[in-house]
Amino acid sequence: MGIPPSTGLKVQRNMTHRKFLRGPVMVGLLLLLVAVLSACTNPQTTFSPKSDTAQSIQTLYLLVIVMASIVMVGFFGVLGFALFRFRDRPGRIASQTHGNTKLEIIWTLLPVAVLIIIGAPALIAVAGSAKAPDEDALHINVVGHQWWFEVQYPGMGPEDPNNPGERLPLITANEVHLPVGKQIYVTLESVDVIHSFWIPQLIGKTDMIPGHPNELQTFTPQEVGVFYGQCAEFCGTAHSHMRFRAVVESLGDFNEWAVALQTPPADPASELAAAGQTLFLAKGCAACHTIYGMPGAAGKMGPNLTLLGDRRTIGAGIVDNTDENLRQWISNLQEIKPGALHMPSFGLLPAENPQHMSDAEIRAVSAFLRGMALN
Amino acid sequence: MAAYTGLLKRPVSPTGVWSWLTTIDHKRIGLLYGVTALTMFFIAGIEAVIMRLQLSSSDQTLVSPEIYNQLFTMHGTTMVFMVIMPMGAAFFNYLIPLMIGARDVAFPRLNAFSFWMFLFGTLLMHASFLTMSAPAMGWFAYAPLTSLEYSPTNGVDYWVLGLQVLGIASMAAAFNFVVTIINLRAPGLTLMRMPVFAWMTLIISFLLIFAFPVITIALTLLQFDRWVGTNFYNAAAGADPLLWQHLFWVFGHPEVYILILPAMGIVSDILPTFTRKPLFGYPAVVFAGVAIAFMGFGVWSHHMFTTGMGAWANGVFSFATMLIAIPTGIKVFNWLGTLWGGAIQFKTPLLFSIGFISMFTLGGLSGVMHAIVPVDTQQQDTYFIVAHFHYVLFGGSLFGLMAGIYYWFPKMTGRMLSEGIGKLNFWLMLIGFNMTFFPMHIVGVLGMPRRIYTYGADQGWDSINMFMTIGAFVIVASFLAFMVNVIRSLQSGDPAGDNPWKAATLEWSISSPPPHYNFVEIPTITSRYPLWEKDHSVGAAQAHGHDDGGHAVHMPDPSYWPIVLSAGITMLAGGLLIWKWHQILGFTVISTFGLLALYATYRWAFEPVNEPNSEEPHQ
Repeated sequence: MGIPPSTGLKVQRNMTHRKFLRGPVMVGLLLLLVAVLSACTNPQTTFSPKSDTAQSIQTLYLLVIVMASIVMVGFFGVLGFALFRFRDRPGRIASQTHGNTKLEIIWTLLPVAVLIIIGAPALIAVAGSAKAPDEDALHINVVGHQWWFEVQYPGMGPEDPNNPGERLPLITANEVHLPVGKQIYVTLESVDVIHSFWIPQLIGKTDMIPGHPNELQTFTPQEVGVFYGQCAEFCGTAHSHMRFRAVVESLGDFNEWAVALQTPPADPASELAAAGQTLFLAKGCAACHTIYGMPGAAGKMGPNLTLLGDRRTIGAGIVDNTDENLRQWISNLQEIKPGALHMPSFGLLPAENPQHMSDAEIRAVSAFLRGMALN
Repeated sequence: MAAYTGLLKRPVSPTGVWSWLTTIDHKRIGLLYGVTALTMFFIAGIEAVIMRLQLSSSDQTLVSPEIYNQLFTMHGTTMVFMVIMPMGAAFFNYLIPLMIGARDVAFPRLNAFSFWMFLFGTLLMHASFLTMSAPAMGWFAYAPLTSLEYSPTNGVDYWVLGLQVLGIASMAAAFNFVVTIINLRAPGLTLMRMPVFAWMTLIISFLLIFAFPVITIALTLLQFDRWVGTNFYNAAAGADPLLWQHLFWVFGHPEVYILILPAMGIVSDILPTFTRKPLFGYPAVVFAGVAIAFMGFGVWSHHMFTTGMGAWANGVFSFATMLIAIPTGIKVFNWLGTLWGGAIQFKTPLLFSIGFISMFTLGGLSGVMHAIVPVDTQQQDTYFIVAHFHYVLFGGSLFGLMAGIYYWFPKMTGRMLSEGIGKLNFWLMLIGFNMTFFPMHIVGVLGMPRRIYTYGADQGWDSINMFMTIGAFVIVASFLAFMVNVIRSLQSGDPAGDNPWKAATLEWSISSPPPHYNFVEIPTITSRYPLWEKDHSVGAAQAHGHDDGGHAVHMPDPSYWPIVLSAGITMLAGGLLIWKWHQILGFTVISTFGLLALYATYRWAFEPVNEPNSEEPHQ
């Protein structure tokens, strides 16, 4: 170029040079970050989005991280330079400046610029979050209890005996089944204290507040899989043990599950399980737990246990659904979930208590519950 | 000799236990605040270490969930109300009269009353440990978890009443310091010549005056709910539990600035001393402080982005929160501007100040992230938030307060702290702090929620938590270094002299420790940095004045009534607790101590400044 080099230009060139370097470094760091924080070893990560909404949150998240990193690098650069350059040494005399109005104006406007870059998309996203759900969105109502999640699918359950033609909600617990590729609209309630509903890979959290119904921003799951969820608002003794799973499956699988859940179960497959079914009624389990299609098991206080054999976990997402874990749960649930309410530790009750269960009886009940399975 | 005042002889001896219990000297009260706060810091630190041990690996069973919930509730409550706030109070009690050229605060007995209310409130809340029912609902105490139905033990009651007592202490102190700073400045010390710390004290006093009544009301409603069965927060009776959250954070967010502004003031006064140049942009730093305080009242709902307030409220509070970054940025830039062109002496107070500026800036950056509502729905109530507020409150407030301790310790005790141990203390603290709290950002991104007492091995959070627990022990080591330094210095530290740092503000013009009357002759001030003026007129006046040993200075006598009145008021709260257990006994306690409080108020009101015929108390 014909223009003679000037100090102004030199500064500019330096700037572009630095920016040029900063780009790839930033992208590299971000990729590393995303790789490290992905779901392989950390199933509850917020950095491996598997729904449209979670994806858009992450885009914003990365933008904010990039801006914050640039500010941070700039800040520490200036700080480090100043500390080294202006360190006290023999003969050094501090310049007696009191301030500089021009600088004050510049560094008032500098944060404004940064804030516009991150604030504008953020506020647009907030405005967009208020969008009403699509006509054909799947509506799910989740109710918080100390310390488990009741999951209701309105209008998908058995026919309402009091209201012929109307269908009750289909109810399950601690496992939210979601069809992939369908928009999900979740409303949230609580029957006791404040809880918070959160599936990091699918959707950010929203609180479940008694007397104050809430709703989640709609989201569409994009990948089949099992995702971790957890209560995120402190809700008392067993707050740490209030978790759940989101099971994203094909629409076919989802529909099959929803139908099977309310189809009267086949008779227990084994003698042990049949004995367990009798005990389930005799020991009072049915007073608190519903099992669809099983006469006498319509309790509402505890989680609905239909098709328990299909669930991945027990105790509100805290231990794997194995025979050993379930037997221990029935025998002494306080060992697994300290502070859990209402349900007795059946194995620890005194032998003369009619609700006491022996190891053999617990084995039977476990066989019955785990025997209820679609697969 | 001393006259008798009713049953009790008015204490005039300058030493001994009674002299401390009845002191109205702002410097002694400041030291009492400081020692109490450090003691509470020790307790809250133990709570934190137990929590870190419990979380060091998955499925730990060191403590039960009940105990863990008590630990994090009391750690948070203690650090906020009984460590950082009173540490700030220690500094403004000790320093404000010295900085503004006064002999004491405007209302010395009210000042003593504030301290005793603070101490008794602290003791009342910690008495819950004796009944094994410490509060366990979190320092934020969200309704309806605080209702009798969901928190049937006395923990919430202790917490509510303890905070009410602490609130009285804060309000009394706030009014006292507003009046002191506005009225008792030395001639020529205009507001814009005050040390920045004095400015920040004035600002947080106003914050306290406007913020504390809100929490007082919120707590009173909760008291009614728990004691007489009203339904202010009872969702079952049609209340919206979000009422509590709004009230709590309308107080709680300004409270955050109550915690950070003293540290900002301290650092703004330390930087000039160790850069050997005036604070860059003094008016900007002061007005940024005012702006932060003012805007702090308009952002409370950013603690509630996940409560379903709707897009409008979320948008407005998000915007307002981002705006706070502007005055905060101005402060940080001006601190950098102060370092720029200086002759920086890397003494321990300066190291802690730089620690403050850099860690606080990191906390500020994560704070801006939370302002982005969609991002916050992934961060809220995770360890990312825990990382954020420890960067502003530990990396910020506590580093700033540590800087203040290293800076003014020579003034308060007359002895220097060791620079070597001080630097060890700083580096251990900086490294331990970052080891403990930086990984919390990562584990938060990995989905670890706050306030969980344990987690499953399947979550993959084990190694990172172990690393953080090791970091916590590095912090413990840094505090051992601090304790060694203090004890060593008190026993055999080098004498400090009047002005060991060659600082510029008024408190350095008098002896270390200062005489109980502070200034023989109230100085006349002509600039922001009086001791850096060429003629050193201020220092000269003091040196000259020392000759008569302060005999001409007239100071008020100590008084029993502040401690008696605060004991009476605290026991009113204690009576309410007893009332829940045994109504007649509770009523007796309430009426007895109510009468005592009335009597103490009466005696206080008619107490003369000095007992007639009493000798002047001298140090």
